Parts: sequence; C-alpha cells; structure tokens
Amino acid sequence: MNKDQEHNFLELLEEHQNIVHKVCRLYTNDYDAHNDLFQEITIQLWKAYPKFRGDAKFSTWMYRIGLNTAITLYRKSKRRVTTQDFDAVQFKIKAEDYDDTEEEQLKLLYSAVKQLNDIEKALVLLYLEDKNYREISETMGISEVNARVKMNRVKTKLRTILNP
Amino acid sequence: MDELDLLKKDWNKPENQNFPKLSYNDLYTMHLKKSSSTVKWIFIISLLEFIFWTIISFGIKDNKSMKALKGTDAETVLNVLTVLGYIILFYFFYLFYKNYKKISTTDSTKKLMESILKTRQTVKQYVVFNLAFIVISTVAVLAIEFNQDPNFGERAHEAAASGHIFMFYSKIILITAGILTITITILLGFYALIYGILLKRLDRNYKELKKMDL
Repeated sequence: MNKDQEHNFLELLEEHQNIVHKVCRLYTNDYDAHNDLFQEITIQLWKAYPKFRGDAKFSTWMYRIGLNTAITLYRKSKRRVTTQDFDAVQFKIKAEDYDDTEEEQLKLLYSAVKQLNDIEKALVLLYLEDKNYREISETMGISEVNARVKMNRVKTKLRTILNP
Repeated sequence: MDELDLLKKDWNKPENQNFPKLSYNDLYTMHLKKSSSTVKWIFIISLLEFIFWTIISFGIKDNKSMKALKGTDAETVLNVLTVLGYIILFYFFYLFYKNYKKISTTDSTKKLMESILKTRQTVKQYVVFNLAFIVISTVAVLAIEFNQDPNFGERAHEAAASGHIFMFYSKIILITAGILTITITILLGFYALIYGILLKRLDRNYKELKKMDL
C-alpha cells in the first residue's frame, strides 16, 4: 500500500470505526476480547484494502471483512471475564429509560443472540444495522431469497431460545 | 413487536452507539501489531514442527544404529528419502503460507468458504504425507538392512536350519508393525490435538456457510 492509499484507508477507517466495534460487540463477551477482535479486524482490513476496488460501499466492504474475520480468522480469546459481561459494562441499559419488563426482555434477547452460531450472528448484526435483504445478500455472498429464508430461521431459533 | 425489532430499537439508541473513538494514530499503530488468526497459527505450527523434526534428525544422525547403517545401501536410501522429505515439507510450508495469505484478504464469504476448504485439505494431505513417509522409510530401510546385514543373514540361516524361519520372519514383521502402529497413533493423536483444535471452529463455520449456500 502506498502512502496515499494508506492515508485514505486510515481516514475511512477512522470515520467508519463504529462498524468494527459493532461486529466486536456481537462476537465477544468482554472488554479484552472486544479489543483483540477489533485489532484483528483492523489488521485484516489493512491487508485487504489494496484489493478494495470501490465497487461496493466502503462500509459494506468493512462489514464483509469484519464479519469474515469474526467468523473465520479470529481465535476466540481464552480470557473470559465471568463476573461482568461486556454488554453490562459498555452498554448498560439505563433503568430509568425502560420499564422493568422491557429491560428484562432486552437482557434475555442479548443473551439469546450470544447463543447463536457465528453465521447466524452475522445475519442478526446486518438486520440490526437496518440492512435490507439485498445488502445482506451482498455482504454474505448468498442469494436474496436465501438471506430472507435464513433470517426467518434465525428469528424462529431466537424464539425457541427465549421460550424453551 | 418482533423480538428482533425490539433489539434493533435498542441497538440503534445513541447511548448504545457510544464506542471508544480511536484516533487516526491509534488506528495506524494498531495495524502494526501482530495478527493472531487461526490460519496464521496453522502456518506457525507447521514451521515449528519442521524445526522439531530437523533437530530430531540431527540428534539421531550419530547414534549407534545410524552408525551401523554407514556405507550400506540403507544409508543411501535414507539420505534420498530425507532430501525428498524436506522438499515435500517445504512445498507444504509454501501451501500453508499461500493459504494464510489468501484467506486473510478475502472479502467474499463464498471465496472464504473455498479457502477454508483448501486449508483443511492441505492440513489433511500434510498429515497423510507425514504418516506415509514414516511407514515407507521405515519399511524400506529395514528391508535393505535385513537384506545386507551379515548378522541378520546368519540368524536367518540358523532359523532356517532349525525349521523356524516362518516364526523368525513373523516376529520381525510383528515387531516392526507394532512399533509403526504406536508411532502412528502418537502422531495421529498429536495432529488431532493441534490441528483438530485449530480447525474445529473453521470446520463448524464452514458447514454453516455450506448449509446457507444450498
């Protein structure tokens, strides 16, 4: 990568870094693991950037690399913080904003999502990010129909986890 | 409301989007750190294994039984096999390195799937090659050694004279087979442990991706 490319890449990465954080948020359980995965995705993005031809949006490309890294390349950290969950620390749901039922429901939902497998998590992330099925299919490299079917299956699975 | 829509509402709340913001320089230094991906570890372990085998082969070079082979055809065969073995091992490093390079810069899930498949294949071929190499070199060296060693010839004659030639060869074959089985089991255990752990997650996710593509 030449200096110009490097500069462009870093500016884009700085601007869109939340995407990487969001992938980490869904795939890791604690602060250290979050940082590890963030670093791994950054390294992979850096390596892959020279091949980025701009035929997709930079953000879409970032989701792809980020998710592929989380799914395939990332060695899950052995360090596990058992006392405090990352979500509880970083994304504490403010009690005053919710009634108890909704707060409880959200906690259960987050924990249910964490129980999904890596591929299902990728679908959920893109759904939460308000991506339409065309964008989901592009990012995951599957057909739009397939993305829709899989998403419905994930919803059913979540329901089963929530109401065993 | 759909469960996921409730989650989406929460996910997109501004207070839940407050991630630590890294500066341009932070991001720059971050990429200089080392990657710790699975495929990279497969490459590193294969390299360590290569070093281990090299040390072992130098270690046994001067021992008694190796000295006994000096000047015999078995030594020539062993040397040829060693050189051939190293050439093939180098080829495998190249493949592991290529996989590592390729897999880490892939941006399409489909291509990623193919790369995962390729990595699994390479590991499998590598294990099969190593095991086959041990069996072939042991059998070849022993066969030549038995054929040319005067001590062995003498004992075979004695056994033939006393009518125990069948027992004599059976014992040798059984002992060799036993030692090979133990060696292979230990190696298989080692590979299953090291590469099995590394490939487990790749394998699981590959199956998931494959299911999705059907």
